[in-house]
Amino acid sequence: MKILLSKENLLKPLLATCGVVERRQTLPILSNLLFQVENGSVRVTATDMEVESSFVIPYATNDSWKTTIPARKFLDIVKALPDGSEIELRADDDKIRINSGKSKFSLSTMPAEDFPSIENLEEIVTLALPERTLKNLLENTQFAMAHQDVRYYLNGLLLEIDGNSIKSVATDGHRLALSETTFKTGVNELFQVIVPRKGVLEINRILSEEDTEIDILISKNHLRLVTENQSLTTKLIDGKFPDYERVIPQDSNKKVYALREKLRSGLARTSILSNEKFRGIRMVLEEGKITVSANNPEQETAEEEIEVMYSGEPMEIGFNVSYILDVLNILKSEQVLIELKDSDSSCLITSTESSDSKYVIMPMRL
Amino acid sequence: MRKIIHIDMDAFFASVEQRDHPEYRDRPLIVGGDPDQRGVVAACSYEARNYGIHSAMPASRARRFCPEAIFVRPRMEVYRKVSEQIRAIFRHYTDQVEPLSLDEAYLDVTESELFKGSATLIARDIKRAIFQETQLTASAGVSYNKFLAKMASDMDKPDGLYLITPAQGEKFVEDLAIGKFYGIGKATEAKMKSLGIHTGRELRKWSEEDLVRHFGKVGHHYYLIARGIDKRPVNPVRIRKSLGKEQTYATDLDNPAEMQRELETLAANVATSLHEKELAGHTFTIKIKYDNFELITRSQTIESPLDLDTMNALIPELLAKTEAGRRKVRLLGVSVSKLVNRKGEFEKLQKKLFEQEGI
Repeated sequence: MKILLSKENLLKPLLATCGVVERRQTLPILSNLLFQVENGSVRVTATDMEVESSFVIPYATNDSWKTTIPARKFLDIVKALPDGSEIELRADDDKIRINSGKSKFSLSTMPAEDFPSIENLEEIVTLALPERTLKNLLENTQFAMAHQDVRYYLNGLLLEIDGNSIKSVATDGHRLALSETTFKTGVNELFQVIVPRKGVLEINRILSEEDTEIDILISKNHLRLVTENQSLTTKLIDGKFPDYERVIPQDSNKKVYALREKLRSGLARTSILSNEKFRGIRMVLEEGKITVSANNPEQETAEEEIEVMYSGEPMEIGFNVSYILDVLNILKSEQVLIELKDSDSSCLITSTESSDSKYVIMPMRL
Repeated sequence: MRKIIHIDMDAFFASVEQRDHPEYRDRPLIVGGDPDQRGVVAACSYEARNYGIHSAMPASRARRFCPEAIFVRPRMEVYRKVSEQIRAIFRHYTDQVEPLSLDEAYLDVTESELFKGSATLIARDIKRAIFQETQLTASAGVSYNKFLAKMASDMDKPDGLYLITPAQGEKFVEDLAIGKFYGIGKATEAKMKSLGIHTGRELRKWSEEDLVRHFGKVGHHYYLIARGIDKRPVNPVRIRKSLGKEQTYATDLDNPAEMQRELETLAANVATSLHEKELAGHTFTIKIKYDNFELITRSQTIESPLDLDTMNALIPELLAKTEAGRRKVRLLGVSVSKLVNRKGEFEKLQKKLFEQEGI
């Protein structure tokens, strides 16, 4: 019951999976990694019962054995060994021995049978998407997810698949981010799932910018992502996502075109003197310019004029400046389009090059 | 009619231990002092309660009742952490939270619009949120005052939810054994029984004067709770009365312009603190200690909440009512009182996307 691996080879699966292990667990075994040696491969799996991540490396062996190893300590030991080390792992009874050169470690293990694995999924839908497509969808929207909100269905990201279109939507109740794209395989009927926050972050971590296709399996309660050597399974949030279509403004009558970087840096400067907690800024819109201003509780003030293309009625509106900066940081285009109606209505921000991503922000009364 | 929820964690310390140590689950577990010393039971699992063990019992006695029980020392730090998590959950639902201890609190949800104002549904959701976040169960009592909410949370333990409606309140109290009344301990219970009071129904027959004669001031309270009446408000944690800053100077000040400047600096600090604590005040006070240690204050109360500009404008007016300048000053102070809570006010400024859906 032993194997021999290079540090680099062993580190790959450990780094890929350890992120899932929570620092504080409810079950002791959740701080361990499941380590499986079987017909020509080594598989490492981590779980927190909500997200399960596993990584396979090829390994020539006819043996078949498994155990669970304390994740954190295992990773720290392997990381600390000299680069290029050969590492021998030997399992006996309730210990795993890690030997490399003159270093010897012995870690306590727990039986692999006790490791809680997410059972096989009863797939409802299978999709194939280029990695980059999914990565873009997530990155364009995930920042707007709620965090530890009592409205638990907002602590995640909605994926909606309808025919050949796939959308991701996130909202914390104050702002909303939506991104949409098309893909080849498609599905016959519309369906929606809510992927929890941690699942979204872990999925994003394993996705590359490549055009290689990945498989997505969805069951009633789980979503699983499968790449060549990795699989990530996350529970889904059982809840009803609010009707996002309804809050995307349709009746904006004021269009403002701004240079994204100019607007972003102007807002970032002004935000220094906004209230740290509530981040309110005032925007006065007039022909050809927006004047943004902020003041903090110490009555210190900031004001900046930003040139824009606008020729409508003047208006004044307040926003949480962080919400706008989040959007301007995510958009890549040179110009952005901001559509407004009045100081009580939401604004819509899009790139001028494509409206695949839409950002809706509710104003603040100032 | 008010809507009060009493939340009580089930066997709190013991449940936390069982959560963190699966090997303790389903076993009689006692959290408390050393049974070999003079330790007492701080909390025990439901499995231990089956042996007649209860909190405050000497640990040595508990071990006689159940020799196979597991004894562990309390980990207060952990319980405090969990308690903070739970209180944070309560504050998602209302600001009107009165913690009684680490594992118990009253919530006044009269003003809440969540779940269309249904206190029962709010209580159910709080239990869900607690379980989701901490994997611990709580019991909730829902009623129209603190006394009945507290009684209700005990009715359906563990993991219970019990409602006492205004129509049921009096009947509920009538049928209650006198020892079960919250606030009536062993000694009072014995005294009540010696007076022939065994149930709420019998307590109700007594006049207020007679109860006060036998039990002192608390007799008023007994008279009211026998009728299901309890007017005590839910008191959110410690209400701050004033907020101030002061400064003693290394050398006494004698220049009024300098005093004005110093007071303005102090006022700015106070304004920042008020803001951070999400408070606003209506009374502005300056405090002066002359070089002979004589201490005086001058105040002004205004209708609208004080902002820094108003405070700065009041400083010369109040300073003029003192002898500062003619006399040397060793200490200056500024404080704001008649405070009102502005919690949530700023959140309200941010408009919501799904206002129509009520989320």
